[in-house]
Amino acid sequence: MNKGSAFQIIEIALKEGRSALSEYEAKQVLAAYGLPVTRECLVENRGDVEKTARKIGYPLVLKGCSFEIAHKTEKGLIHADIRSDTEALEAFDEIKKGLNGYNGAVLVQEMVKGRRELAMGMTRDDQFGPCVMFGLGGIFTEVLKDISFRKVPLNKREALNMIREIKGNRIIDVIRGMEAVDTEILANMLIQLGRIGLEFECVREIDLNPVIISGKNPIVADALMILQ
Amino acid sequence: MDKKANQTTREDFERIFHPQRLAIVGVSAEEDGARGFGTGMLNALNAMGFEGDIFPVNPKGGIFAGLTIYKRVEDIPEKIDFAIIAVAAKAVPEVLESCRKKGTAGAEILSAGFSELGTAEGKDLENKIRGIAAKGIRVVGPNCFGIYCPRSGLTLLPGPDLSRQSGPVAFLSQSGGMAIDFAHKGKWMGIAFSKVVSFGNGVDLRETELLRYLADDQETRVIGMYVEGIKDGDAFFQEIKYTSDKKPVIVCKGGLSLAGQRMVISHTASMGGSRIIWQSILRQVNAIQVQNLEELAEAALAFCFLPQGVFKQISVVGGGGALGVTACDAAETFNMEIPTLCASIQTRVGHLLPKPGSSGTNPIDVANPFVEPKVLKKILRVTAEDKQIDLQIIISLLYHYKTMARLLGKPVSQVAPYRELAEGLRDVVKETGKPIVVILANPKRGVDDLDIVEMLALARREFLDRGLPVFDELHEAIRAIGHVNAYYARRNTKNE
Repeated sequence: MNKGSAFQIIEIALKEGRSALSEYEAKQVLAAYGLPVTRECLVENRGDVEKTARKIGYPLVLKGCSFEIAHKTEKGLIHADIRSDTEALEAFDEIKKGLNGYNGAVLVQEMVKGRRELAMGMTRDDQFGPCVMFGLGGIFTEVLKDISFRKVPLNKREALNMIREIKGNRIIDVIRGMEAVDTEILANMLIQLGRIGLEFECVREIDLNPVIISGKNPIVADALMILQ
Repeated sequence: MDKKANQTTREDFERIFHPQRLAIVGVSAEEDGARGFGTGMLNALNAMGFEGDIFPVNPKGGIFAGLTIYKRVEDIPEKIDFAIIAVAAKAVPEVLESCRKKGTAGAEILSAGFSELGTAEGKDLENKIRGIAAKGIRVVGPNCFGIYCPRSGLTLLPGPDLSRQSGPVAFLSQSGGMAIDFAHKGKWMGIAFSKVVSFGNGVDLRETELLRYLADDQETRVIGMYVEGIKDGDAFFQEIKYTSDKKPVIVCKGGLSLAGQRMVISHTASMGGSRIIWQSILRQVNAIQVQNLEELAEAALAFCFLPQGVFKQISVVGGGGALGVTACDAAETFNMEIPTLCASIQTRVGHLLPKPGSSGTNPIDVANPFVEPKVLKKILRVTAEDKQIDLQIIISLLYHYKTMARLLGKPVSQVAPYRELAEGLRDVVKETGKPIVVILANPKRGVDDLDIVEMLALARREFLDRGLPVFDELHEAIRAIGHVNAYYARRNTKNE
């Protein structure tokens, strides 16, 4: 993956008149900018499920993947902790059913283990232009709104400042037997998100949530990219 | 940066803020008896003792306050530096153009009736003003209260009684009401101004250009701003960042909504309403965000009176019931500490305190409101010896002297020893090098206690005159010191 292919993915989506990328596409763009994302494959046919699942390795997460669906959880399109071929096939069938009518396939994804979840994003402010966001992830993003923003471009010091600015900043330290999060990687992710905002005028909003902390490494487990 | 701002020299700004020859367009002759903004402004300038020459203008001519009213700007002999325009909106462009042709450096337009009306005519007139400004005259306004500059005597509308004492604080505001309120507030709080600008609709000079000027203005050490909207986010960001590196910029942002106005899909965008974005932007540039004009004034006071630095550990001397708890809670909220004094200092302070009921730890509870200034002075001097302490706060209970005044049959302002206290505290600051902040607490403010209010106003002046900042409440002082700490701590790490 390189920036050229990121450009192509977005270009094609725009040509098709779409207002969003699918999770799979969004993560390819992110990966092109050096953000760590989950290992995953898009599966169209039931016959490919087992082979793909074994290639990535259990436990897995299976998700409905469509540019038409922004928030998957509410639609029952996420099946987590899939541990066998049987479970994988069952999940595949249910997701296919749930996708009914929408353009989409099933995303077979490694299940990242980690008790800490962060969120990142990018939005365009009417006055200040592209701004990146950092905060607590998962359901806490909406519940606590413990987040910080920065106008881009961002240097490393500012990226580290915005990470430290949230009230719950101790979540990235050594806590309850968990390692300290690699803030170099976190900072770089925020810087790169800002770069996407600057380089693609057509990307209106980005949500990365959750960004799961595995050991000390953040990994983007879900991504949403809105186009304009 | 705006090209024109570059072309406007410091000399031009000098002519704007300290004009030697000033035209006021829209002054009515005495016999006409009208009381427009122009006439009001002329009266205000006279009351302020404006130091330059004033040339009133009105097509009808006549005389006002002994001054000849010129019929046209062109008729004024020789050059003018600055013009105050207070004619009907539709006449403004022509007047402004004649000022420009005369080589005037700038003009403030007090008249209303422009884009704020939302009419096509209003917008059109405003565009005309913008066009003339672009040709080389800097414009403040329209729809504003103008410029206040104590050094020259320029004043805001309707401010005949603002202070002529110059000081280090500049204030910028779209709202004229905020500007005049802040100028009045500063006068009794001890904030002296370099320049105050109310720029109203801001067709030309506004937040970004004025910040740019103030960043390098030798007269200005602290900048306060009341902002509603800004014209160009990127330019403002660059300017406030540049300025904040040099001096503190305290911002009160009005009109913050919780959510953005647009339809958004992602959580990031839905949470990125103007409130949180502004908060983040201001942190990013190391500006100081405050919630209202009071907090802005308190922060400005602290920045003016305290040395540049970070004051993490403070001592509090005072009295009153929950003193200890309140002080510690407030300190913790703003990331400060009220450490226990070291044992030897505690003992020495203990010897100075009246018994019983006092406490020599920190906060130091003097227990008795009538402890003499010379004893308080000794206590503060000893406390300052503790190496932990960066700054001292004294909560003065002067209001209690009303009880004593009653017994003595004298006015409280003659009984309360505020002058002696002020002198004592000044000496301690001088000797120890550690700043002292004064809290003039007063729970008695009703009509029965106007004598206390008056005495405290006199006391405040004595403290301020001796370089001691005064606050009404402990938590206000601690919050203001917290702003100073945050600013210099961040600026220091930035420069590492």
